[in-house]
Amino acid sequence: MTAHRPSAGLPFARRLRPLGALAVTVTAAVLLAACGSSTSPGSTGAVDPDATITVGSLNEPTTLNTVKGGNTGHAQVLLRNVVEGLTVLTDEGSVEPLLAKSWDVSPDATAYTFHLQSGVTFSDGTPLKADDVVAALKRVTSDESTSARKKNLSIMQTIEAPDEDTVKVTLSTPSQSFLFYLTSTGAAVTKPDAGNPDTTVIGTGPYTLSSWKQGDSITLTRNDQYWGTKAGNKQVVYRFFTDATAENNALLAGQLDLVTQVTSPDVLTQFDNRPEFTIVEGTSTTKELFNFNDAIAPFDNPDVRHAIRQAIDRKALLTAVWADRGQVIGSMVPPTDPWYEDLTSIDDHNVAGAKQLLAQAGYANGLSFTVDYVPSDAMNIIAQGLKSQLAQAGITITLNPVDDATWTDKVYKNHNFQATIMDHVNQRDLVWYGDPNFYWQYDNPQVQQWVKDSETAATPEEQTALLKKVARQISEDAASAWLFLDPAIKVASTSVSGYQKNNTTDSFYVAPITKR
Amino acid sequence: MLGYLVRRGGWLIGSLFVAGSGVFFLLRVLPGDPAVTLLAVGSSPDQIGAIRHQLGTDRPVLTQYGHWLGDLVTGNLGNSLFTQTPVLDQIAGRLPVTVPLALSAFVLSIVVAVPIGVFAAVRRRGLLGLAVSALTQLGIALPIFWIGIVVVWLVAVQWRALPPGGFPRAGWQEPGAAVQSLVLPVVTLTIAQASVLVRYVRSATLDVLSQEYVRTARSLGYSLPRALWRHGPRNGAAAVVQILGILLASSLLGTVVIESVFALPGLGSLLLTSVKARDLPIVQGTVFLMTATVLVMGLVVDVVQRLVDPRLRARA
Repeated sequence: MTAHRPSAGLPFARRLRPLGALAVTVTAAVLLAACGSSTSPGSTGAVDPDATITVGSLNEPTTLNTVKGGNTGHAQVLLRNVVEGLTVLTDEGSVEPLLAKSWDVSPDATAYTFHLQSGVTFSDGTPLKADDVVAALKRVTSDESTSARKKNLSIMQTIEAPDEDTVKVTLSTPSQSFLFYLTSTGAAVTKPDAGNPDTTVIGTGPYTLSSWKQGDSITLTRNDQYWGTKAGNKQVVYRFFTDATAENNALLAGQLDLVTQVTSPDVLTQFDNRPEFTIVEGTSTTKELFNFNDAIAPFDNPDVRHAIRQAIDRKALLTAVWADRGQVIGSMVPPTDPWYEDLTSIDDHNVAGAKQLLAQAGYANGLSFTVDYVPSDAMNIIAQGLKSQLAQAGITITLNPVDDATWTDKVYKNHNFQATIMDHVNQRDLVWYGDPNFYWQYDNPQVQQWVKDSETAATPEEQTALLKKVARQISEDAASAWLFLDPAIKVASTSVSGYQKNNTTDSFYVAPITKR
Repeated sequence: MLGYLVRRGGWLIGSLFVAGSGVFFLLRVLPGDPAVTLLAVGSSPDQIGAIRHQLGTDRPVLTQYGHWLGDLVTGNLGNSLFTQTPVLDQIAGRLPVTVPLALSAFVLSIVVAVPIGVFAAVRRRGLLGLAVSALTQLGIALPIFWIGIVVVWLVAVQWRALPPGGFPRAGWQEPGAAVQSLVLPVVTLTIAQASVLVRYVRSATLDVLSQEYVRTARSLGYSLPRALWRHGPRNGAAAVVQILGILLASSLLGTVVIESVFALPGLGSLLLTSVKARDLPIVQGTVFLMTATVLVMGLVVDVVQRLVDPRLRARA
């Protein structure tokens, strides 16, 4: 039931989890499935260029400030729609030019010269100047910023505007991912001094932000002066829900045109075989992880970690949560990344092997520990599944449900945990295994070196080769137990089309959506 | 009566102070750091410290408490940690949803429950009376969100008679749509509240029925309804009025669940999202306001009880 497009940012992964609504979805789904459904004909006819598209989401922003990180939910609404960066991450996962129409890179890969698109204006009519871009890039690394990419972008040593259409950036070190980092919400260009940055934002995108009714909705209106291809609809209303059942009901009753992400497969039964709805499955970057505190006993012993992994039947967990959707993974990489390899054979399900490894590690009589997790429909299924699977190998886990903020404080910040289940949404977050201080405290100097080298690699091929090594090594070390990749499921009215299929970016790009 | 009001008013202010302080300190011991929820992956301790400083959560708790108390006296509930907008504005923006919702459910509960309760008492051995008892038992046992889900599914999804949730973006400027969107939430809340109230009214009525003055009235030739009408309200009211205060409080608290089920942008959903984000000033302000409402209602109930029941006045 949780649902949301995560924002870029810490509690990174962190999707919102409505407190009051746990377990509600299943009940409703069962009810609905049992009672059949009425049908109404889908609408037909020509595309309405002035349509209003209503999008349901469970992730209301807590602020519209683009340089704030954390679970702020603003990327989904603002990025690509209201604000734009020099580069853009497409739904297919590639980095493309946006406000920069092209760029030159110095031979040592530390100096970038960006040539800006001509004729770009902010939605209030002010022309975009190179100085505005410089201000934005300085802002994302300033004290004010808590952006997810602040640290990555801090390699920008100088940021200058030699003329009105050119921005020059020098880096302290070459970075294969620099253009990717520039696609983040924090690096998007906003008009300076547009008002309280927490509640107002003026950008160069295909929409202007017309209103934010907190607790209810955000309305975007087409920017008719937009420099690129204008939006296929006149208005987009993001309606925010705290309860997934309420969101599904709104879709069923025709109040919504689509929902950004279905988080529990149970709700799909309501939409199956109904001609007025389309169910679309794409890929996501959301990895469900069972993490250990690798720095403390018993998890500092790799045998224990391997044993736990071998005791887990990932396929069974995936089936329990998502039926035939989604995909089992063997490391921290989704198949959409160039450095993906099928590593699922490492520590494949093997209860006898798990018992043997445990005995070897001195836990022949069993092992018990506590698992912190933030409950949601999917999480509850995973937690219970892990509990019964691990029991077969003599491992007893105590489940400790906590709320989001508690998890962040206890597990993420204070490392005060034994094991935890968490979904990690961010793209390219494999590199966190190169940081020994990250919450799982996996410490392998070789991996840290590879991660570092991959950043400064001379070619993308070299970067890919190094990250492949990282992905394999962390799996061979059983740094974590990677369970599966969530599918990206959207349900939409058949009258709308053109929405993005995957959840591989932080944004939810609405300009191409049309309605009949 | 005046002296009583002054005493009672002083007690009210004291309770508000204690309740407000309680909420303040409880929130401070709650796990979860607002600064951390604003930070990105891999932030350094320095960054966390800087954000705490920006938010003011790095100051000693007692200093924060002093500021909060000082602001409160001047009617200022502070600003949201995340949007910097005044908490009072945020709350005021939610009242047009929550106040009509809670009040309508409260009034409707009374209108529905009092006659049914009296009826159930008079016909307590009849089939209908027993049915009422059974149904109210069910109404109390069922979780309110479940009632909400069933109501939405039936009326909004199957029949499409009313919207399944939401509130018009223009608010009460679209009175028709606003009323429509509140019908189902009010009905849901009423089902839950009236179930409780019916049982109180029923037992209060049973109590009156067994009194000697009713028997006397009957012996004087009054019909049962007439005897009840003559003596019932005044004698039974005190007990029922007392429960009304609690009922209004639970109406208000019920909105937290109801607004989530019906996707209403009210006080309850504000509280829910703010707790999740650890936007402490908003949580504090909202809980304080709800507590104040409940305490004030308690006072009103006491005063009304003394007005209807001369025995209480005599005792004071």
